[in-house]
Amino acid sequence: MGRLRLIVTWMFLSLSLALCLDGLCAAEDSGVRVPTSVIAGEPATISTMGSGRATFYVLGPGISRKSDVRLGEEIHLDSQYTRNAGAYQVIVCADTCQSATFYVTADKAAALTFLVHPSRVPVSQSNAVSGVAIPFDQFRNLIFTPLNVNFQLTTGNTLLLSRAVRTQDGVAWFRNASGRSAGALQVVASLDEVSARRVVQQVASDPCNLRIEGERTKTGIMVQTEPVHDCSGNPVPDGTIVTFTAVEQNGKSTVDAPIKQGIARAQISGPGGAVISAASGVVMGNEVRVGAQP
Amino acid sequence: MNRVATNLFRCRSASKIATLALLITLHLGLNAADTANDSSAASKVTVQLEAKKAGPRGVENLTQRAIVRDYRSAWTTMSHALEFNTLDPIDVPFAGDAKRVVHDTVISQQRSGIRQVFTDQNHQLQAVFYAPEGDAIELHDTASYRQQVLDGSRSIQDRRVVMYYVVLMTPSADRWVVRQMQVVQQF
Repeated sequence: MGRLRLIVTWMFLSLSLALCLDGLCAAEDSGVRVPTSVIAGEPATISTMGSGRATFYVLGPGISRKSDVRLGEEIHLDSQYTRNAGAYQVIVCADTCQSATFYVTADKAAALTFLVHPSRVPVSQSNAVSGVAIPFDQFRNLIFTPLNVNFQLTTGNTLLLSRAVRTQDGVAWFRNASGRSAGALQVVASLDEVSARRVVQQVASDPCNLRIEGERTKTGIMVQTEPVHDCSGNPVPDGTIVTFTAVEQNGKSTVDAPIKQGIARAQISGPGGAVISAASGVVMGNEVRVGAQP
Repeated sequence: MNRVATNLFRCRSASKIATLALLITLHLGLNAADTANDSSAASKVTVQLEAKKAGPRGVENLTQRAIVRDYRSAWTTMSHALEFNTLDPIDVPFAGDAKRVVHDTVISQQRSGIRQVFTDQNHQLQAVFYAPEGDAIELHDTASYRQQVLDGSRSIQDRRVVMYYVVLMTPSADRWVVRQMQVVQQF
């Protein structure tokens, strides 16, 4: 069995060598001429050598065609067949098959895919807003030639960032701090006449200088915050929870209260005196001491 | 006596049938094993990922494993689709433009009667960009494989090639999907 395999291998190698000496092994890929490069959506011309009839195949991204051709004549590949960038393999089969490959590259930029994060961001946060821009041509092919993408971040009339970033491997990106005031942050990426716009909602950050006041009522203690703002002066959104803690002689009690119209209020029952403090998230407020019922 | 002979005959017949059944089972079993081996050889897809140079975000180990798993799945699926000219499996690992291109290729192959068989695939992936929020990754795939092109049952091309793919993947609900897959002449 092993000897038989050896003989067959030896025969195959001898035949291959003989064919190569006759110049036939170099004939592969030599009978078809393809363009060195084609722009997406442009026609391509393929030349064949020899004479007689043959079958022509072209395989590429999204395309697989077969047709009868005459060798020696040019084959025109219509622009609709070269829309997708990538490798196109041409095979021409008569007695034997010969092949060649050409590459279709992207056309000029016609669209930008623009990913921006997050959709809501607290103000004055460093590296909080990021964006990735990926240019595409009109046929949705990635463009790998370096291009300048301009990123602009504006809030109200204030320009937060204006930066040109050159694409690398087809991608440009930025990262930046959020602005100081709550409201819409306009994020724009532009490349020649193409642009993409996204909006990030800037919201107040954590409360700053949380201050409370309290007074005794008939049923207990009414405690409330002053209008709650972040450190940039933006009102903290309604619904943000403020936790009031009352330490009395008998123990401790806590009440959660949402901010409504900028102020959080809570009623703490009990006739005794208490020391009351407030917190929201990681921010602590001041303490107030309210005396016992007379 | 007759009854004994009849029983003996029955017994021998049963034995023969059992032997035959065993042989058939063995034969079918061996064939099935061969087919399974062929099938696993055909679908053998090796994927390796190098992610040290990716930025601006680092690619965590778990993410790397998921990308390798899902990229391998994408190639297995695409190879199956292009070999059998079927669209069934491409919905899961592909999305967007990549899905459109694979879909169009299969439809076009169905019309022309051409099939492509990819075997002995080896994919050396390099992550070149990982978005700051982790919602897109760009990979460079140096892919080497044996590609057979068949017109019906006739082989018109059989070659081993090295191709350079630029790939964009994005995370979906439970996996990474291929959104762009574009061959370039060189990276």
